Amino acid sequence: MTSADSSPLTTHVLNTGDGVPAAKMDVSLHRLESKLMIWNMLSVGTTNEDGRCSGLVSREAFSPGMYKLRFETGSYWERMGQNSFYPYVEVVFTITETEQRFHLPLLMSRFSYSTYRGS
Amino acid sequence: MSAYRLQQLKGHIVPGNKITAMAGSPSPLTTHVLNTAMGVPCSNMALSLYRQDPSTNAWSLITTGTTNVDGRCPGLITKQTFTSGVYRMHFETAQYWESIGETCFYPYVEIAFTINDPGQKYHVPLLLSSFSYSTYRGS
Repeated sequence: MTSADSSPLTTHVLNTGDGVPAAKMDVSLHRLESKLMIWNMLSVGTTNEDGRCSGLVSREAFSPGMYKLRFETGSYWERMGQNSFYPYVEVVFTITETEQRFHLPLLMSRFSYSTYRGS
Repeated sequence: MSAYRLQQLKGHIVPGNKITAMAGSPSPLTTHVLNTAMGVPCSNMALSLYRQDPSTNAWSLITTGTTNVDGRCPGLITKQTFTSGVYRMHFETAQYWESIGETCFYPYVEIAFTINDPGQKYHVPLLLSSFSYSTYRGS
């Protein structure tokens, strides 16, 4: 498993409703196989106490294409004993420059979320 | 698959359903798409609404549409067809940015949400730039 430093793609999930990192949330990374138009799961992990999930993809495996980060937000809120408007969150993005680093945080509450390309 | 293509397919599969704004009572589900980079509504963005079948988990297309000059798309669904369940709204974001000569990090945006009480009104806006977006349950 690659270390947090070496994955060119990182995320950070924050529970903006409670003002804490979203720990123990399941996150998966997928890439679209463009000929068959199906999603291949590249990795699956769980956020740590700081809301981060290391080793999403290695530099070698990080080829240009369409990717999807899926966050199991509904399960997260259920575990907190609360409901949420969103059963899950999927962020689909296009990677063309694979030598760059991509930091895609998710700021979420029970009734809102936002994402952006950070650093 | 682009929303335009889906619109074509829908015309073959689902006869008689109006895709564009419906007369009569307003849709209990609304959206509003805003271009936060330029401070304008996202007009002429293609979008589509799906509902998930709870037993098969398959998604069915309910309607397709295009945002108007104010970034809104009236007539997404009728009160009669608005049942409890998991829905998904699909926005053709990259297509929109390309039509104004820009690129977008997100080829499309999909927002899945759960409707438990179809008697309420639900407003699902999308605030969008080339490298960020946000949504919330509004009113």
